[in-house]
Amino acid sequence: MSLVNLGKKIFIFSAIVLSVSNPTYANDALKIAILSDQNNSGFIDSSSDMTMNLINRKGDVVTRKLRFKRLEVPGDGDKSIAVFESPRDVKGVAILSYAHKVKSDDQWLYLPALKRVKRIASKNKSGPFLGSEFSFEDFSFQEVEKYEYKFIGEEDYLNLKCFIIERTPIDPYSGYTKQLVWIDQENYLIHKIHLFDRKSFHLKTQKFEEYKLYEGFFWQPHKVEMINHQNGKSSILLFENVKLNSGFTDRDFTQNSLKRSR
Amino acid sequence: MFYKFLGISISFLCPALNAEIIGEYSFDNRYFFNSGLQGQEKNHSSFTLSPEIFLEKENSIFHFKPKFRKDNIDTERNLVDVQELYLINILEDKEIKYGVSKEFWGVTETTHRVDIINQTDAVESLDGEDKLGQPMVKLSFEENWGLLDFYALLGFRERTFSGYEGRLRQTMIVDSDRPHYLSAAKNKRMDFALRWSNYFDQLEVAISHFSGTSREPRFIVSNKNLKELVPLYEVIDQTGFEFQYLLGSLAIKSEIISRSGQEDRFTAATYGFEYTQVGIFGSRLDLGWIVEANHDDRLPSSPAVIGTRLTINDTSDTQILSGIIYDEKSEELGFLLEASSRLGICCSISIEGFYFDDTNEDNEEFKLFQAYKEDDFLRFELTYYLGD
Repeated sequence: MSLVNLGKKIFIFSAIVLSVSNPTYANDALKIAILSDQNNSGFIDSSSDMTMNLINRKGDVVTRKLRFKRLEVPGDGDKSIAVFESPRDVKGVAILSYAHKVKSDDQWLYLPALKRVKRIASKNKSGPFLGSEFSFEDFSFQEVEKYEYKFIGEEDYLNLKCFIIERTPIDPYSGYTKQLVWIDQENYLIHKIHLFDRKSFHLKTQKFEEYKLYEGFFWQPHKVEMINHQNGKSSILLFENVKLNSGFTDRDFTQNSLKRSR
Repeated sequence: MFYKFLGISISFLCPALNAEIIGEYSFDNRYFFNSGLQGQEKNHSSFTLSPEIFLEKENSIFHFKPKFRKDNIDTERNLVDVQELYLINILEDKEIKYGVSKEFWGVTETTHRVDIINQTDAVESLDGEDKLGQPMVKLSFEENWGLLDFYALLGFRERTFSGYEGRLRQTMIVDSDRPHYLSAAKNKRMDFALRWSNYFDQLEVAISHFSGTSREPRFIVSNKNLKELVPLYEVIDQTGFEFQYLLGSLAIKSEIISRSGQEDRFTAATYGFEYTQVGIFGSRLDLGWIVEANHDDRLPSSPAVIGTRLTINDTSDTQILSGIIYDEKSEELGFLLEASSRLGICCSISIEGFYFDDTNEDNEEFKLFQAYKEDDFLRFELTYYLGD
């Protein structure tokens, strides 16, 4: 069964479940989302090396490398810096982001050739990230407050008992009308997301694999795959050297630190 | 491979030090459709090499980047420059940079009014974005109230000008070997600058002041050769203001300067907007619009620019920038095209074109592009990246 067909079947299935849902389910969905989010918080700071493989329809692979670090901000979204390592012509290009729970994120781009820091409109987040199938939006942090939730049902996925919840982005500039999220019932980890574009078409499927537990509470997927059903391309994000609690402070996430972050 | 080996060797010899060596080697060819107004050649090519060394230790960074350029026709376009040779010390509440470096100020895209720390390498390209390294000591504070930079600028770099054989030059040649300074200290004068910037939600602001030798010279006729000009570098005071407001996908921008020291105090400004349409016609292409107008008290009129930036969002990061420059008073028109893409993992290519058109030759207003009227060109550049 192709993924598109699977997507369609699930969509039909969810539509049936939805029609019999009652208001308490919305509450359950939010609870599941909050429990799931807790797997990815309390880490204080983290850093990792990322490899992104862009795979076209013919199977040709192009590779990008990035370094990434982030800092939790109590009561608000995370601060992060992503630095491009390769391809060589964009080496040293870096993005500083201050994510916010509800209002739009603040982002600055550093261009080393001009030594220029440029504030960028975070509203343009539905566009592709580095020519990949990930958009800037897929790449940013999924704060609980950024969506509205609906409980859809339960399903076994990869031998795991999963909840399926539907989340609708609150931001009108989001590239998606809704997302179906598979969350396992044991650790509340996200395993799969179906992403529906503005025409409510099941455009992409995102899979989270190779979860590892750090410090007994922080779950990090080491492989995230994004499959685009429309163009047949996919992108795979691999994480290495994941470190927690390196002692970063706000001073490591400023414009000056962006300029020297290469 | 060799560079990677050298980098690893440095790291090995001094384990606390993180070393990296990279670089660029580029070939560029400019083809002018006509011979120059002074009979210059149609085909000009040059090679540029700029290796880079970074050494990093906890709380210190060393960066060295020389730049070498060899032109096959215009010897004035040959260059040996230290772009970066500095040490940064990161302290608890501040950052100190000592040495030669480049610093960019500003928010607009087509003209950079406020940007003043570095001298322009004017023969490199038309956009004026290529700079020469500036010796400095910079002290930088970043707190909740914003980013505050103090600069002591040690010595002055002269602007580069095309020689007799060069293209895209003024009708009279500029003798850059005998510049005239108003300060008795000549090019040894110590200049000062400071800039404060901050952001408030969607608003970015910066205020800056520069006191020192003007990077932009005026010209006087040479007393040795009446057919030549000599650059006159005066001592100026320039206050700059930058403003950018984000409204969804729209960025509204403005840069204003007020300068004294070159006859009467004058004001110059660039203002406009940048608007990005993500995924045009349901595709993955992004289309950005750049509209900027200019004002300069010194000129009878200033041209406006309308440009588009098409981002293909392919794996080669292909971008096509095109623009139209129009001056209402002189009725002059310029077309600009800039396309760039990556070739494999080692290289990138870019193609640039410029076409000037005087739409009304009977118009007797001051012509901005008069000297460039035979200089329509197409430029091809291939860049090879050194290192792994």
